[in-house]
Amino acid sequence: MKKLLSLMLALALCLSAMIVPALAESDLAVAVVVAGTLGDRGFYDSSVEGLNQLVGDHGVASKVFECKEDASLYESSLYDAADTCNVVIAVGWQFWDYLATACAEYPEVKFIFIDNGLDGVGDNLMSIIYAQNEGSFLVGYIAAKLSKTGKIGVVGGEDAATINDFIVGYEAGAKYANPDVVVERQYAQTYEDPAKGKECALALYDGGCDIVFAVAGKTGEGVFEAAAETGNYAIGVDSDQKYINPDVILCSMVKQVGKSIYDVVADLDGKYQPGKIWTADMETGYIDVAYGTDDMVQQVSPELKAEVEALKAKIISGEIEVPTALN
Amino acid sequence: MNELASILNIGLLQNTLRTATPVVLCALGCLMTDHVGMMNIGCDGMMLIGAFAAVMGSWLGGSWMTGLLLALAIGLILGLFYGVFVIKLKSDEFIIGVALNIFAGGVTTFLLRELTGQSGTFHAPEGNLSVLPRLNAAWLDNIPVIGQIFNNNTLLVYVSWILVLVCWVLLYRTPAGFWFRSAGEHPQSLRSAGKSPEKMKYIASVLCGMLACLSGAHLSMGYLTTFSENMSNSRGFIAVACVIFGRSNPPKVFLAALLFGFIDALGMRLQTFGISSALTSTFPYIGTVLMMVLLVWRNEQKKKKLAVSGLR
Repeated sequence: MKKLLSLMLALALCLSAMIVPALAESDLAVAVVVAGTLGDRGFYDSSVEGLNQLVGDHGVASKVFECKEDASLYESSLYDAADTCNVVIAVGWQFWDYLATACAEYPEVKFIFIDNGLDGVGDNLMSIIYAQNEGSFLVGYIAAKLSKTGKIGVVGGEDAATINDFIVGYEAGAKYANPDVVVERQYAQTYEDPAKGKECALALYDGGCDIVFAVAGKTGEGVFEAAAETGNYAIGVDSDQKYINPDVILCSMVKQVGKSIYDVVADLDGKYQPGKIWTADMETGYIDVAYGTDDMVQQVSPELKAEVEALKAKIISGEIEVPTALN
Repeated sequence: MNELASILNIGLLQNTLRTATPVVLCALGCLMTDHVGMMNIGCDGMMLIGAFAAVMGSWLGGSWMTGLLLALAIGLILGLFYGVFVIKLKSDEFIIGVALNIFAGGVTTFLLRELTGQSGTFHAPEGNLSVLPRLNAAWLDNIPVIGQIFNNNTLLVYVSWILVLVCWVLLYRTPAGFWFRSAGEHPQSLRSAGKSPEKMKYIASVLCGMLACLSGAHLSMGYLTTFSENMSNSRGFIAVACVIFGRSNPPKVFLAALLFGFIDALGMRLQTFGISSALTSTFPYIGTVLMMVLLVWRNEQKKKKLAVSGLR
């Protein structure tokens, strides 16, 4: 019995751990450790795209670790990654508690922390945070302009600073477009359950919202389904997600995690600044709004797109200061 | 008052029903194994595998029917697997249940990536997946509330209601159900009546597998129209709790599942009142604990009554 159990556990473990080794052409081995599971067609997938591009262009060796939102794996995955690679990229604010010790343990490894800032920790950790509030401001503006009911919603993954940064920006943008607009929020408390996301979105649509911004990873897939089912609209996040369902997804708030990883790792001598927090923002082109490709249905009119471009310039010049939930 | 009305509306009831259906189907399977004395806590894993099989079947076969058939076939195999280990090899049913749950997470993730080259969420490369049809009776639309709740649900929602009745009749109104229950309560007497308790246990375990996979099929082809890794998200464990609370009696289990769905739906709506989402997401679990306490308290009361009546 014991043997059987351990055999089955071992089997499950082998099946779950999908580590992809690659050919090494340079002496750089880069590991991406994601806090959740790949396949969110957004945040995590984008980071792996950046990694794959590094493999293609610079011939680095690569490894991907998935923690599946299992807190007991965060620390061990970081260590596993640091054992075999010399650049470790921790993708997800969840690694906050574990990076300081990991950095001390592996002083020769270069760590990059994505989506949350840790400063003053060691001289081998660089943090990259994103001005998601700026991009969310723009989609909030679009949502408020296109809303017929004057009520828009947002489904967040959980009540955490990074997610709230999206929501705060979204609300500010919506109010900027129309001070009377009502913004309702729902937290799904999970990034992995589309059914829950669907219920959250249905509750919002039911309450009179006609556009919902999904900021919840895979849970967001359910938001798109709810929009299609009720004949309302949704807004995508992290990548250009319009292709998932062009009829209901108006636009997406793009956060180019992969590009930021690529740019830093491709130019380690110039761009890797240990001990610093780098904010990838709209000015540097890492945050934007995307409307899919031209062959897809475009609900956002060219006039509105031009307004958004003007707003973008104002945000970059500092004329509009978007509130933030970070710090 | 106005705000209260905005919460207690039809949407809440619809939400309750939607949330409860996968739990009901899964719980019906689980209660079968409970009746024969080998409760399967691996329902959650079976549900996940069923969800995956349904989507794969629908994708490869091009129709929701092939999806449903594949899910049922895989359910049958999983049920047999569980039966062989617990009945024939006499393993502990809890250990096998836990193993099933862990195995399900790994095998669905692995197969999704191997078979389709996609990870996380499955999307049919050639467009739309064939999903369970929605049933609509035009005359129901004219009745307010009832029409909105009972109309336009996906096929398996209605099937789950029928199955609740069928399971109840089968268990409590037929000889087969009598043998079934005695296989768990007193196998010796069943054997002395010339029936094999092992056979009953195998039937229960196969039914459990098929029903759990059916609930998975509902989750991925009815409730949603996609498969996503770990999408069962512990619904199978809620089903186990409902079975215990409803004492394995199908209608009572159905009510328990509805109650759970209602608490979940209500909790979500209370977020709009500024109640923290971290707190509202605990409501279903607090509800489960309260239900259990109530059950134990009711049992104690019954025992006391029996004791008193015995004294007289």
